[in-house]
Amino acid sequence: MEVAPETLDTLAGWFAQSLSPDAAARRAAEQSLASAACTPGFALALLGLASSPRHDLQARLAASVYFKNLLRRRWPKPSADGDDACGDHLPPNDCAIIKAHLLQLLLTAPPLIQAQLSEALAAAAASDFPSKWESLLPSIVSSLGTALSAGDVPATNPLLAAAASLFTRFRNTFDNNAIRIDLKYSLDNFAAPLLEVFLSTSRRLQAAAATVTRPESRPVFECLRLCCEIFYSLNSIDLPEFFEDHMREWMTEFRAFLTTSYPPALEADGAPDALRAAVCDNLQLYMEKYEEEFRGYLKEFVEAVWGLLMAPSVSPSRGQLAVTAIRFLTTVAESVHHALFGSPEAMKQICDSVVVPNLRLRDDDEELFEGNWVEYVRHDAEGSDADTLRRAACRLLRGLAANFREQVAALVSAQVQQMLAAYAADRRNNWKEKDAAIYLVISLMQRPGATGGGTPVIDMESFFTSVIVPELQAPDWQSEPMLKATVLRFLKEFKDQIPKATALSLLPSVTMFLTHESNVVHSYAATFIENLLIIKDVVQVPGVNVVTRTPRYVAADINPYAQQIVQNLSKALNIPESYENPYLMKCLMRVLGIANVAGQIVHEITARLVGILMEVCNNPKNPDFNHYLFEALAAVIGRAGEQDPALLPVFEASLFPVLQRILVEDISEFWPYAFQIFAQLVNMSQPPLSQNYMQLFGVLLSSATWDRPPCVPALVRLLRAFLRKIPNELNQEARLPNILLIFRSLLSRSSTEDSAFFMLNTLVENVSFDIMNPHISEIWSALFTRLQTRQAVKFVNSLVVFMSLVVVKYGPAVLVGSVDAIQPNLFITILQRFWIPNLKFIKGALEVKLTSVASTKLICESAALLDVAAAQTWGKMLDSIVALLSRSDQDGAQQEQNDGADADSQRTSGYSVSFVRLQYAGKSEDDLLKEVNDPKQFLVTSLATLSAQSPGRFGPIIEQNVDPANKGALIQLCAAYNTSIV
Amino acid sequence: MADDSASPSPSSASPLQHHRDAIKSSVHNTSASRRREQAVAIGKERREALIRAKRVCQAPISGSDEAEMEEGDMVVDEDKACLEAKTAHAVEELKSALSNQGKGAQKKKIEVLRDLRRLLSQPGLPLVDAAVKAGAVPLIVQYLSFGSSDEQLLEAAWCLTNIAAGEPEETKSLLPALPLLIAHLGEKSSTLVAEQCAWAIGNVAGEGAELRSTLLAQGALRPLARLMFSSKGSTARTAAWAMSNLIKGPDPKAANELINVDGLLNAIIANLEKGEEELATEVAWVVVYLSALSERAIGLIARSSIPQLLIGRLFSSENLQLLIPVLRGLGNLIAADDYMVDSVLIVGNNIIDQALSGLIKCLKSDTRVLRKEAAWALANIVAGSLEHKKLIFASEAMPLLIHLVTSAQFDIRREAAYTLGNLCVVPTGNCELPKIIVEHLVAIVDGGALPGFIHLVRSADVDTAGLGLQFLEMVMRGYPNGQGPKLVEMEDGIEAMERFQFHENELMRNMANGLVDRYFGEDYGLDE
Repeated sequence: MEVAPETLDTLAGWFAQSLSPDAAARRAAEQSLASAACTPGFALALLGLASSPRHDLQARLAASVYFKNLLRRRWPKPSADGDDACGDHLPPNDCAIIKAHLLQLLLTAPPLIQAQLSEALAAAAASDFPSKWESLLPSIVSSLGTALSAGDVPATNPLLAAAASLFTRFRNTFDNNAIRIDLKYSLDNFAAPLLEVFLSTSRRLQAAAATVTRPESRPVFECLRLCCEIFYSLNSIDLPEFFEDHMREWMTEFRAFLTTSYPPALEADGAPDALRAAVCDNLQLYMEKYEEEFRGYLKEFVEAVWGLLMAPSVSPSRGQLAVTAIRFLTTVAESVHHALFGSPEAMKQICDSVVVPNLRLRDDDEELFEGNWVEYVRHDAEGSDADTLRRAACRLLRGLAANFREQVAALVSAQVQQMLAAYAADRRNNWKEKDAAIYLVISLMQRPGATGGGTPVIDMESFFTSVIVPELQAPDWQSEPMLKATVLRFLKEFKDQIPKATALSLLPSVTMFLTHESNVVHSYAATFIENLLIIKDVVQVPGVNVVTRTPRYVAADINPYAQQIVQNLSKALNIPESYENPYLMKCLMRVLGIANVAGQIVHEITARLVGILMEVCNNPKNPDFNHYLFEALAAVIGRAGEQDPALLPVFEASLFPVLQRILVEDISEFWPYAFQIFAQLVNMSQPPLSQNYMQLFGVLLSSATWDRPPCVPALVRLLRAFLRKIPNELNQEARLPNILLIFRSLLSRSSTEDSAFFMLNTLVENVSFDIMNPHISEIWSALFTRLQTRQAVKFVNSLVVFMSLVVVKYGPAVLVGSVDAIQPNLFITILQRFWIPNLKFIKGALEVKLTSVASTKLICESAALLDVAAAQTWGKMLDSIVALLSRSDQDGAQQEQNDGADADSQRTSGYSVSFVRLQYAGKSEDDLLKEVNDPKQFLVTSLATLSAQSPGRFGPIIEQNVDPANKGALIQLCAAYNTSIV
Repeated sequence: MADDSASPSPSSASPLQHHRDAIKSSVHNTSASRRREQAVAIGKERREALIRAKRVCQAPISGSDEAEMEEGDMVVDEDKACLEAKTAHAVEELKSALSNQGKGAQKKKIEVLRDLRRLLSQPGLPLVDAAVKAGAVPLIVQYLSFGSSDEQLLEAAWCLTNIAAGEPEETKSLLPALPLLIAHLGEKSSTLVAEQCAWAIGNVAGEGAELRSTLLAQGALRPLARLMFSSKGSTARTAAWAMSNLIKGPDPKAANELINVDGLLNAIIANLEKGEEELATEVAWVVVYLSALSERAIGLIARSSIPQLLIGRLFSSENLQLLIPVLRGLGNLIAADDYMVDSVLIVGNNIIDQALSGLIKCLKSDTRVLRKEAAWALANIVAGSLEHKKLIFASEAMPLLIHLVTSAQFDIRREAAYTLGNLCVVPTGNCELPKIIVEHLVAIVDGGALPGFIHLVRSADVDTAGLGLQFLEMVMRGYPNGQGPKLVEMEDGIEAMERFQFHENELMRNMANGLVDRYFGEDYGLDE
């Protein structure tokens, strides 16, 4: 691989410049790099620079990072969709050269660069290994062999690391033949060399364990750890024959690592524990998946792991090791071999020596609590992939309880009492005992209704009154914040079971904790209140066999507390590190959305929220917080404004400046929110609208505004708000043609076609036909042109809904006439090819009602369909209507449940700008057909009336064209509504 | 995966497809029938197959003139060095006997062969190595030449049988003997000679895929198949056993060739009907491999009377050796051909009741492989019609399965989980989520299965964790009155799902996060 020296120098120059403090120089360098990035050979130049010893290390490192990112982005991937992604790939020639040289360059690079190149290798291998990179594994194996025979352990590590990254895929992929072929290839090539490296390195360690020094031992432990990691990957899918045949060899070494104590200086380094943790992961895998083959080793490993957990240690990695070790024991406790722990002595020992010590808060917990509250909350309350020791310990207890429920309950119960007694004896020094006791109860207490898993350890009521409540009402409420946090978490966990009156009586205390100086404590207090307010109870509807879920706490319940909560939340948002605390803001949003706040507090909190918004406009960085902030604003505007329309000018005065700033300064992530808030304000206004709004209306009609896809749904909502208030303004200044222009561009992309239809529907709903008439043929042309290339169900359904809307709003004659004006008989064609076959796929209660009523009107009122020549079409249309109406019966109930949840699932917390609907900004769906109560009744009565005009005409048509099942349904419907088709 | 090297999916369609789509649209694959997985062998042949792969011949095959136990058959209490010397000597004798001519030569030949055979029949085969090293095999091959007496052929083949039962290298040393061994399988040979040769070939085939393909290339399959038709029970049995070794794959070619042999199905049927359990066992193994490897065989077998016969055996036998292949063969057929569930195991017929009670017997068994195979077969039956789901739901299998899903070993748990999952859904046929049978779901959850499924979600095995997630999805979506999410939460299900928050597997991550968001996420409390 040759790269011209001048090229390398130029490149090095750019990278040096790209690190320059001078912004202009930096930008110029970035520009140069970006434009060079597209040329063939650029990746090779980067790799060349990264591995060029004569260049500056900083530039080399920067080049290696750039190289890695380039490979991640542009290495050719087998595209899942078949088409999209192939445009921007690296040229095949570059890829081939990279594959030929990368491994060797990586091995000779300095450590920092090596790390980058190693990730680059992994990125390329992700798509090419093994079938398109056949030389890779053999090269690794042969280099390993060289390093091994030279006795050079440090040299094996980059090779093993590269192999480990190749093999992680086997851990996380679904089992299938393709992955098995790759695995088999990897095993055939690597299983034996791996064992050789592992055994020989392990022997070296044993031989020198007593004398080896830290710098020497570190790569040795690292090598063994990497071997263990690879072991896990290669054993993930199935137990390979080679590993089964050599199980004894592996297990013997594993056991040695667990049971050998290395010199204190080595142990303090943490490397031995990191290795042991990897061993425990492997043991757990074998225990879970290959228990039958592994059972012979089980007893010795349980003892070894147990011994490890009991031994004191200074290792900084002991915490992580303990988590994996406990996890292994948990797997054993839950397995068919649980009897290993079944004796009273064993169980007591587990409880005393493994569980309890790990349950108590540790120094690093305290450090985290103080130093990084966000992390603490994530670990403590939200559960993450990284287990805490406490949680692992409790899971072990739960695992034991699955088979030894009574014994565990008795032990835990005694333990809780003991801890509480210790606390009572010396409150100041023993608060951690109480904390641990509460933690135990949270983790083990059986929730009512649970079918298993939990364990009844204490009398909940007395625990609540004698242990929990006193902490909430303690006069020294600021002290022992960690204990207070655990108490608040207890409340959250058991919120459903706390009787409403009790919960309300505790609210003032919890509200006080909102101003606690600890970020964790006030966050937990806010979370509890927020969670409390969304509890729903199942209520049996009297008389029918239906239940509904209704909120347990309604406005009247929390109105007495709302003002204090809002004020305290407002204060808490001033506590350092909580300026953008999402838990506080979410609670605020919830309270404002449920309670009736009025009077001075509305002014205060609006001003406060606007102030915070001004602040975050400077640097929007926390999407969750910002989302709740806008929700809170929407809630105040909606709830307070609804009760007191006179507040509108207040809202306008405080909000216009910040909303304008968002538009003017182009804070793009807030645009979708800003337009929704505007829409909310427009909805509350009475025409004529003020000058400010009319300006905004002008902005709305410029097509530049619509260029940002995430804003489009919000803009359509705003447009809708305007059209409802001032439909006739469209007549002026060519506004409607402008809107139609925007419509056409939205329609041209499938990602925005929803919005295009939403816009059209809004127009037809709000604008009279005489205004629309001059443009209707333009709309049809646009729609039908698009239809020629896009016949997806989603698109056709939207089209059917829109045409239905035209029928209902303007009448069947307008629809048929305007469509046929494009081309004679076009309407019937559209009907036959799209409307009739798609009708039964329409979803959503309002849409079903709209389309079925419109279809009914067409067959009963439209001359085009009542024509004798159209009899067959008429019959098929009826068939589809009946199919639609009888299908919507079956999944109606299901549908409603899902609709509720769908609204939530659009939440995203990514950093890219995206549209998120503000729930508190109100609903936008309206039933346009309030006059029709029941579409089925509408169908049969319309048919009855029609047939009465020409008796005997429709019977045969129905007979010939309606599917027997649908015909039966129709007859039933007629009977149900006491009508008949004559 | 019960016999990894030998039981690939009979179809070219990979189970991957089911799984992938399943996770995407949630519970789909719980409702699709699942074939035996994976054509690519990673694991070792399972033990129950290994044990029977090679067999030592200790006593003369029945029907030979030799007395059951001759004097001198047992070699007593001599140390190994001494025995090895004897073996070397015996091989020497073989050589010199070959060059002997004239009177008594024939008798001598048989004597030397017999001496060697006795040494080779020592328990644990300690002397095979010595014999092979002394060059016994090429010499024995000469004793197999055409025109030799039956007695000589019998002894020679017996020697080879036991050499082939030894270590892999020892088995491979038989390569030069294979053409003659195969030749003596033919119709011109006496039954006894043919049977002994079949035994030797069975041992060779049991060694591995490479030797199997050599045997096939040399034409072993057809004469061996004919031998299976023999009316002599032990001959048919030995031939069937050797045949099952020969066709076990992973290459499906042999199985496909076998099913094309005229009269094969009738022979299988006759042998399964006969009643002798040992013969039925070996024939059932042939069915196992045919049904694992050959699409054509599956179709023919399913439409023959074999399923009935297997079910009859499953129902009436208590013999573990027989139950294993019978159950596995049935499982293969049920998984691979819808005809089995749609047209054989028709609800209301006696046959499904027999099958079900046989399967329930196996679910209760202490033998792990029976429990696993029974759960697997049930999972595929339950993927059938609503009537099948109702039948099994109402049966004694339900409490057993719930027990297994919460407490059994990993692989049995997983099969039980598939069955229970399948009991709860009716596939909708298109890409929508399948419909849930609420009554079944409620009974399974209330019966205590939920912790078992949440345990699966925590599994290190991605497929299994996915299965657990699918069940949780059903509970949260389908349990009445919106109580599902609460139940899942109470059993620590949220925590289990959150493990996937940053998981490398994108589908799992999206599914788990989607479920957490959907059921426990931003509940705005406004939408109902």
